[in-house]
Formats: sequence, C-alpha cells, structure tokens
Amino acid sequence: MADSSMTDTANAQIGNGDSAESLSDEVKKKAEELKEKANEYFKNGDYSQAITYYSQAIEQNPYVAAYYGNRSFAHIKTESFGYALSDASKALQLDKNYIKAYYRRASANMALGKFKVALKDFESVVKVRPNDKDARAKFNECKKIVQMQAFQKAIAVEENHKSVADSIDLASMSIEDDYQGPRFEDGGVTLKFVTDLMKTFKEQKKLHRKYAYQILVEIKNFFIKQPSLVDITVPKGEKFTVCGDIHGQFYDLLNIFELNGLPSESNPYLFNGDFVDRGSFSVECVVVLFCFKLLYPNHFFMARGNHESVTMNQMYGFEGEVKSKYTSQMADLFTEIFNWLPLAHCINNKILVMHGGLFKEDNVTLDDLRKIDRNRQPPESGLMCELLWSDPQPMPGRAESKRGVGTMFGPDITSKFLQRNNLEYIIRSHEVKPEGYEVMHDGKCITVFSAPNYCDTMGNQGAFLTITGDDLTPKFTSFDSVPHPNVKPMAYANSLFGLYAIMDDNAFLNKEISVNHLVPAQGRLWNNKDIPGKVKDRHQLPILCITQSCARGCLGLKGKDRY
Amino acid sequence: MASDDGVILTNDDAAQCKRYAVEKKYWSDPYISLLTSRSSAKHAPEISRGYYARVTAMRKLLHKFLMLTDRNCQVVNLGAGSDTNYWLLKELDLFPKSFIEMDFKSVTARKVAQIKRHEVLLQTIASEDEDIRLSKSEIHGSDYHLVDADLSILSQVEKKLHESGIDKNLPTLFMAECVLVYIDNLKTKELLKWIADQFPVAMFINYEQVNMADRFGDIMIENLKSRDCFLAGVEHCKSLETQKQRFLDVGWEGADAMEMLQIYKCLPQVDVHRIERLEFMDEKELLEQLLSHYCLAWAWKDPNNLGIAALDVT
Repeated sequence: MADSSMTDTANAQIGNGDSAESLSDEVKKKAEELKEKANEYFKNGDYSQAITYYSQAIEQNPYVAAYYGNRSFAHIKTESFGYALSDASKALQLDKNYIKAYYRRASANMALGKFKVALKDFESVVKVRPNDKDARAKFNECKKIVQMQAFQKAIAVEENHKSVADSIDLASMSIEDDYQGPRFEDGGVTLKFVTDLMKTFKEQKKLHRKYAYQILVEIKNFFIKQPSLVDITVPKGEKFTVCGDIHGQFYDLLNIFELNGLPSESNPYLFNGDFVDRGSFSVECVVVLFCFKLLYPNHFFMARGNHESVTMNQMYGFEGEVKSKYTSQMADLFTEIFNWLPLAHCINNKILVMHGGLFKEDNVTLDDLRKIDRNRQPPESGLMCELLWSDPQPMPGRAESKRGVGTMFGPDITSKFLQRNNLEYIIRSHEVKPEGYEVMHDGKCITVFSAPNYCDTMGNQGAFLTITGDDLTPKFTSFDSVPHPNVKPMAYANSLFGLYAIMDDNAFLNKEISVNHLVPAQGRLWNNKDIPGKVKDRHQLPILCITQSCARGCLGLKGKDRY
Repeated sequence: MASDDGVILTNDDAAQCKRYAVEKKYWSDPYISLLTSRSSAKHAPEISRGYYARVTAMRKLLHKFLMLTDRNCQVVNLGAGSDTNYWLLKELDLFPKSFIEMDFKSVTARKVAQIKRHEVLLQTIASEDEDIRLSKSEIHGSDYHLVDADLSILSQVEKKLHESGIDKNLPTLFMAECVLVYIDNLKTKELLKWIADQFPVAMFINYEQVNMADRFGDIMIENLKSRDCFLAGVEHCKSLETQKQRFLDVGWEGADAMEMLQIYKCLPQVDVHRIERLEFMDEKELLEQLLSHYCLAWAWKDPNNLGIAALDVT
C-alpha cells in the first residue's frame, strides 16, 4: 500500500526547501541503504515493498533523483500510473538530465493514453541519445500511435457538423454571360446536357460550378436514400454491364461508351468504385458518372471503392484536382457524397458486386451488409473495410492482406459465402490485371478493372463484362488505352519523373503564377526575373508544372500546344 | 541541343523527388533543400519508396568502397546534377581524397550559384589554408571539383578530369545515376573502355533502367520520348546480363547487377519498415513494376585484390 506521502503532486516542494547539503553524511548513508533494500525487493518482484522502502529512503533524503525514478518504475509495475507520473516529474525536477526518468514519465503517460505528451518525452531522449536504438524504437512506436489517433479522429463522423450540401447557396451563384459550357434544360440533367458535358470535358473545358454544385447536391440526396446493399433486377433478355476501376482516366471512360454504347434504360451500367485518383481527369469522370446516375436512377449504379475516401483523395490526387478546378468546399462536398455511396450491389439475387472483396469472418450474410451504417470514412477493420479493401488469393483459407488493410480470401471462403447466401458468383475490382479482368476461384470470383495502361505506365488492358437477365455467364471485353491530353499522372524515376502538365491558355491567362510552378520549358531556361507576376501573353507559355496532386490551379490542358 | 535540355530536366525532377522524400523523412539530407527547390506537388508513395531504395543502395556501395580503401581513393560522379553526397560524406568523416562532379554546363553553373549562396556548402569545400577557384560553371577546391563536360565527348571528360588533378594511380570509384542511358551506346562504350584502360584500380556503379524489353519498358520509352528524353543507351538496359556485359566487353575485370526489387528486400529491414509506415501505399503493383525496371550494376578492376570485387549492395 502506498505511503500517504505519495499524494504529492508533481509540482510540490521537494523536501523542505533545503538542499542535499543540509543533510549529514549519516542520513545520506541511511537513505542509500534503504534504497538498496528497495532495489532488492524490486528485483524479486515485490513492488509494493519496494515502494515502501523507496519512500523511506526519500524521507531520509528527498534530494536524490534516482529514488523518485526508481519509485516511479515500481509504480508503473503496479499500474499506479498517476503516482508513476508524479514521481518521474519529481526526479526530473531534481535532475533534468536523468534520462531514465523521461522514459518513466513517457511510459506512464502512454499507459494513461496520453500519447502526445509521451511523445515529447521520447523525443527528448532521442535528442540526447540519437544512437540509442531502444529510445528510437519507443519514440517511433509512440509516434505511430499518435498518428493513428489523429487519423481516427479525422475519420470519425462529427455529430453536429453542418454539411456542405446544406450550406451551399446555389441561388447566389450566377452564370456569367460569356459562359459557353453546357446548361441545364428544364432545370436539370437531360441526355443532351450529359452529351454536351462529355464533349465539353473532352475538349478540356469547364462546367460552371453552379451546375456542378447542383449536380452534387442532388446526387448526395439521392444516395442518402439508398441502402448499403442495393438490389438490381435485370429482366430476361436485357443486357447489363459491369465496369471496374476508372481512376480518373476520362478518355478511356469515353472509349468504354464508344465500345459499349452510352448508358440508357436499355443499356444499364454498374461502375464498381475507384472513379477517382491517380488519373488526372477524376473530376470529369465522377461528374459524368453522377449525371448518368441522375438521368437513369434505376439503370445506372455506382459503388464505393477504397479511393472514395479522404486519405486516398489527399494522397492520390483527387482532392488536389478538385481544389484546383473548383474549390476546397467542393472537395468537402465530394467527401460527403462518397460517404453515402452504396457499398455493394446484388444482381438478380445471384451476383454480388463489391469493390474489394470478402470478409475476415465466416457466416456473413447479405443482411449483414444491408445493415452497415456506411455514412463515414471507411474504418480500419470490419465488414465495410473488407468490402472496399480485400483481395482474393489462389490458396484456400485467409491471409493477412498484402495491402495491410482488409483480408486475403481463398476459393473455399468464396464458396462458403456464396453457398450461405445462395449466390452464384461475386464480381469485384480493385486490382490491375493485364487483360483487364481475371476469373478466379473456379469462376466464382471475377475481377474486372477498367483503367487501361494504368497510370500511363502499366501497359495493361482495361475490361468490362456483360451479362443478360437470363444468362448470368459473364462475357468479357478487353480494350486498350486511348490517347489523352498530355498530362502524365505518374512519376518515373529519372526517370522517376515528376508530374507534368501543359497549361491551358484560358485557365492560365491573368492568373498569378507561383514561382514553384515554373520549371524550365524545353529549350529555354527561365530564371527568377523572367517569372511573370501575371501572364498577359500566351507567348509566355508554355510552362511545365507539376500536376495531378497539384494543389494549385494548374490542371487545364491543351495537349498539342507546345511552343 | 533540344535533347540535352530534356535530359537536364530529369535532374531537376529527380532532385525534387528526392527533396520531397527527404521532407517526408524517408532519409535525412540537410543539403538537398539548398540545392533544389521544393515542388508543390504531392508525389505518390511508390515514388518516394523507389527513390529511397535508389539512394540507400548507391550510398551503401559508395560507403563500402570508401571504407575498403580507407578513404585513400577518388570518387567521380558522372552526371552528378544536384547530388549532395560530397557534403554528406564530409559529415560522416568518410570523404575521399578527391570528389569530382561532372555535368552539363547549365547544371554545374546552377550548382555553383547555389553553393556560393549557401555558406554551409561553401565552407565545406573551402578549407582554411587553401584557396578555391570558382568560375561561373566550375569549382576547384582541395578535395572537391565541380566541372562541366559533355559526357559523350571523351576528350572533354579526359580534359576536365585532368584539370581536377585526378590521380590515375589511386583507386577510383565512378558513379552514374540515370546517366548512361541518355548517352549514345558507342560513346558510352568509349567512355567505359577509357576508364578501364586508364585506371588500374577502379569501380563503376551504375543505376538505371533494366528489363526494358517488355510492355512497361515500351511505354516508358514512349512517355519519355514525348518529353524529349531519348533513352539513347537503352539497348544495354535489356537485362541484368546486358548491364553486366557492357563492362566486361571493354576490359573491366568483373561485373554484377541486381534489380531494385531484389535490392529493396535486402536493405536493412528495420528502416524499410519505418519508411513504409511514413505514407500508406494503396497497392504494391506499381512499386513492384517500377522496382523491377531499375537496377544497380557495378563493375570492378581489382588487380591487387583489395577486395573491390567482393563489394556488393547486400
């Protein structure tokens, strides 16, 4: 049982204000002996006795940092973290170079869940002992936790947060007279609007933000009403097409519509997630897809992919692209919309379609999926996470996901799941495949991936599959990539190249240029004094700048115009 | 020349990618921000990881060579660009008798300007009792030489090395990081042969593309072509074999090569795990493709059995 004197707070006076000098050698010796005794008890695992004797040592000589340090350690062992904290602090008051005490305090704080505070102490140790591997390991461990906490906080749903959708004032946005882009007819999206829009985007022109916002607000309201698992009925003789990842490859998306026809009531589509990120035309892709959804709500479907999430969008370009083409507020609105995207679709009660794959647990039912509360960022584990992140594997059973999130699942898992839910097969996406698709698990697990020459580097084909209402056997079409304006989405090493774009005149003129964005154009080296404050003359172009994840306004493109 | 500009840009690019990775704490390098501007773009994690592997592997071999020769050697960095190894070696107290950097004039001129602007860079080069000679595009210090030369013109290379006081009798390490691939095959052959002929004890470390005869390679070549970057030397990048053979063909005693994918797995795994936790990478495919299309090749001449032949990157 702890001595009552240990209720001192960390800031309390140590001793009676005098210093160690005031003590006689005899007293000091006695204290040392008590400490030695305490150490013995400690070594033998008798922590409460150790505490008793450290306390007695302190009573004799309250000026020795090590007594407090050791007692702190004993408190940690008995999980009295508050006392451990206070003792460690006292030790440091006496000797701020007492490294072990920093450790003790950090450990106590960690045990109390105060990781940020603990991190500071670990940092102090690492600074003083840069070669101490253990110190660094602890520091890194703690840092990892702090970062994870920050991540958890970021993905948690905020209760009283006012949504962007609710705070947009569409009425106050006006359309300039010189706006040449597509306009709504009858106040909304029509087939003519969408076809005009695709043409506009193909020519790298812009959709007015008022229309963009309107589309987004409407689509959000639509998705809110959808269940997490959407049931689709494909009537006998009718066709149905499933596409996989698009990843911002707008020109390849247009090509899919060329090859397979525009979406319509007689030509329904399901896009299985990952519409954005990596490719540089993510905005165009997702807006067009949303338009088709609004146009044909019962014949056009979209599922959430792992890239329809904040962390992915921040890292892989979508957020930057939205901020540069529109506004930061719109990026937030996309986040709200993505939170409401359905997680899976079930076709004719026979085919389950999700972006990632199956689950860590057995006995998952379709009802379990319907019940998922999806209006949130994807969690780090659980059904919602697995739906978006898992991958099939050839060998039976399950394994740790190669991605670090979700799970790997074998043919036996697929089989059992299908049986349990009376299904024939699953379709998923999420993995790039050389021919755009792969049939695994004896036909029970199909991957379809629709972004050809992924990131302009992989050289793969894309694919889509079609079924009909009475014949669920998938028919695959593989296709190659088509050319697109000169915006390279990925880096190569030197060729790990950075990302390049060529500025669109219109986007560029009369805009302030940031110095960082000016990189020597071919054949001409620019130095600082050449950099214009405002670009007045298109002959001051071209300017190669870094794109895709570029947070500033550099994503208009005009492929062939190189000066 | 238009194609030189394209190649020159690759330095800016690589340097910015390295700086980005340094800022994300993939490795430490306090000098890179002094020689390279920051790009405002985010780079995908596979890029930073790729650079991490590249920088770590090259550094490892460089350090091993220095330790083996007990610093009694020279280092020649061909196409050095914005490289910071000289200053990093000084920090570690592991610098050679002479460190020579060679690149296009516009590149060296920019580096000279940057070195002049930053006391900490200049100080390292200028020791107290010796003068350093600075021109617009060159620096000659007591143990550091920055010279401009077109690597495809052997006479220029020869001349500048001579002006830098190179001692052919000292063990010499030549480094090239994504350089040879931009030079015409015949010229590179000439250069490698000349080095083998002139330097009795030498090592050459070459980082560049490999396995380029596949679809991924084709696309890379196309992509780079559209940026005026011609991989003139890509013939040697067909396989690890061709990368090794190019040295053996011109008189180097021995050669070895490893794909970056394999090297990545051989790097100290504790640190690899650390960097893998810096940024979450959504899928491995892209990194694996990148890493299997780059390699580190090294060749040696070690007649006195110093142990150069036994150096490797694992």
